[in-house]
Amino acid sequence: MLFNTIDFVIFLPIVVVFYYVIPGKFRWIFLLIASYYFYMSWNVQYIYLILFSTIVDYLVGLRMGNLSSKKAKLPWLIISITMNLGLLFTFKYLDFATENLNIIFNQIGINKQLPIFHLLLPVGISFYTFQTLSYAVDIYNNRIKPEKHFGYFALYVSFFPQLVAGPIERFDKLNPQFKQKTNFTYQNFANGGRLILYGLFIKMVVADNISGFVDSVYLTPQLYHAVDVWKAMIFYSFQIYSDFYGYSLIAIGSAMLLGIYLMDNFKTPYLAKNIAEFWQRWHISLSTWFRDYVYFPLGGNKTTTSFWLRNIIIVFVLSGIWHGANWTFFIWGALYAIIYILEKIFAKYIKAKDRVSPFSITHLLLALKTFVLVTLVWVFFRSPSFSDALEILKAAFRNWGVFEKTLTIPLSTTVFFGLFILSDILLYNNRFDKWIDKKPYVMRWSIYGLLLFSIIVFAGVENFPFIYFQF
Amino acid sequence: MRLIVQNIIYRILTFTLLLFLINYVYVHFFYDKDLAKHSDLIAIIDKIPDSTDILYVAESSNTALAEDDIDRRTIAEFLDEALPGQKVNDLTKPAAHAGIYKVLLSAIPETSNIKTIVLTLNLRSFNAQWIHSSLETSLQKSLVFLKTESPLLNRFLLSFKGYPIKSEREQEAAFKAKWLADPLQFPYNFEHQNVSEWDYWMAINGVKNDDGTTNQALTELACHYIKGYGFQIDTLTNPRISDFNEIIQLCRERNWHLVLNLLAENVEKAEILVGSDLTYLMDYNRDLLVAYYSRKGVLVVDNLETVPDKYFIDQNWTTEHYSDAGRKAVAEKVASVIEQNAKLFK
Repeated sequence: MLFNTIDFVIFLPIVVVFYYVIPGKFRWIFLLIASYYFYMSWNVQYIYLILFSTIVDYLVGLRMGNLSSKKAKLPWLIISITMNLGLLFTFKYLDFATENLNIIFNQIGINKQLPIFHLLLPVGISFYTFQTLSYAVDIYNNRIKPEKHFGYFALYVSFFPQLVAGPIERFDKLNPQFKQKTNFTYQNFANGGRLILYGLFIKMVVADNISGFVDSVYLTPQLYHAVDVWKAMIFYSFQIYSDFYGYSLIAIGSAMLLGIYLMDNFKTPYLAKNIAEFWQRWHISLSTWFRDYVYFPLGGNKTTTSFWLRNIIIVFVLSGIWHGANWTFFIWGALYAIIYILEKIFAKYIKAKDRVSPFSITHLLLALKTFVLVTLVWVFFRSPSFSDALEILKAAFRNWGVFEKTLTIPLSTTVFFGLFILSDILLYNNRFDKWIDKKPYVMRWSIYGLLLFSIIVFAGVENFPFIYFQF
Repeated sequence: MRLIVQNIIYRILTFTLLLFLINYVYVHFFYDKDLAKHSDLIAIIDKIPDSTDILYVAESSNTALAEDDIDRRTIAEFLDEALPGQKVNDLTKPAAHAGIYKVLLSAIPETSNIKTIVLTLNLRSFNAQWIHSSLETSLQKSLVFLKTESPLLNRFLLSFKGYPIKSEREQEAAFKAKWLADPLQFPYNFEHQNVSEWDYWMAINGVKNDDGTTNQALTELACHYIKGYGFQIDTLTNPRISDFNEIIQLCRERNWHLVLNLLAENVEKAEILVGSDLTYLMDYNRDLLVAYYSRKGVLVVDNLETVPDKYFIDQNWTTEHYSDAGRKAVAEKVASVIEQNAKLFK
């Protein structure tokens, strides 16, 4: 059940109405049933995996809660990590690992080919396994107490708005909200609705309308003029942003309708002045997860330079391969590590100022530099293989005399693309619901009308699944 | 409290006003473009002339032409020629099947003068691969604008994917599961339990050349024939049967005579490539359909073996695309059955 389908348009209001009608102490049961129903709408069998992960981490959590020393807890933590990463490895990386082993066998002359299983990747597995992992690690570090109520813990793992593509929430932020009795408030209803409306707009009208052009160029870059290839690369930067940002806003808005607050996942990342800031603004729930559960435990930056370099490389490469089992994601992560390190060294060398006024010339130039770098790095993320990525980059820098195909972009797509960029600038360090709340009634409703009209009339109808659902 | 109620009323009124405004702008400035872009079906239905007595409803078999056809008329045009005094026009939608025809026919205006519907009954459309075809999602999408009377609501359904959507991977998994699950029953011992086994056997053993070597191209074609015709229709579970039943009901309600044109298949090639086991299944399904629909009072024209191999355009695939002689033969048989049963049509 995708957020941008009629199924969800029917499902969400039903859940919201029943949620407030049901007495507070029983709401968790209803939300859990609704979440499992939501998840099973993809594939009924997926539920066994999420149940397995939930039961193991619930029991591990309880066991660790009874132990005081970290040494005693460690075996239980290892069980949780092995189970969660084992699930992730089996469904996400096993075929990739096998294919690469087969290549190695072939090259060293071993006449043995391991079988490829072609396992279907369960939706959201990368997100909920990270969520349950953080739960186990936090108990191990005495940051939180284990949840004794299985139902509440199961709801933490499966809460439907953020189940399939985040934001990856921490237990201590989400779980208490399930337990407190939330009354229906107009403000939550209005803000949730606003976020859903804006999220649907940027997903269905912006992302879904530009995806076709990106697909065409990425399929046969050699036939397009370099300018068109650059257009497609820039379009992809905005496609993935509006697709995932749109999804996140709908998730946050849907939860808000139920009086539950999820963390922000994006904060105008393309206005970041450098890569470090970009990652503080892009997929925040994932980058903070890697910061807290990988980077800091490795020593972060409070260590020697060589270890710091190692830590940076490990975090970015892991973040890359978290997205998918492909060398392109590895390269994507590694490139970020290199740029991040170079920027840090460069900033130290020129003694760059930390504070730059928003929208000053310096800010805009730095943001442009960051955007160009990110756009170039996205090529590896979008391409199915390393050689395909090189084809795109070659075409972007060499195809100045190629005119076999032309990228014709309709006026409406250009207008919506421009509106999205404008809105992103307007929403710098702000969020749509808070921004529009301060506008006069007529202006507010005019904007609602325009968004609604655009969603109904201009929504893309060809490519619609959310990009991050595949991870 | 009064203020809260007042605020809620203001907002409901504003929202209603917005919807009216959006509907007005959409209908007057965008609807026609959307129809042209996303659904040609309404235009096709609108184009049916008022003078139509007989509407020939078909998939691509009606309009497919061979490069060297001298006579480039469609089956509907041949039928029109063969039935003087009755005006035949067509409604053609490539890759369509009974589920699509059902929606198309129900969208024909009540004021139409149509008296008879001739509908293609395509044997292959009953097979698992066609039922779970990768084209199905786009066919269903093209029907969205026929779903309700409100253009804005239909556009909303299109934007929010209010039609059955299955990915190619899901469809493939579904028909492959059917190939495994559906048993093949013969009145004699047959070595393969289902289509999957039969297809696998053919792929391994192959069609042999005169010198005993395997002819790869013919082997692939034989596999296509097995997958295309290797099934037995279950009238209780096959979705095409229920779709045709609904069409029969619709025709009764609209006082239309219904003729089902069981399309010609390349039985000759099936016999050469795969053998009598496959033609047994083709005959079995033909007999079942003819008997089933005749019992329901529908005229079924049995064209299954009307067109010989040489008149099939696609020699390396399973289609119902005929050259001019084939199209004419099909049309003439339909015309002769209609004429023979003229009493029924009065």
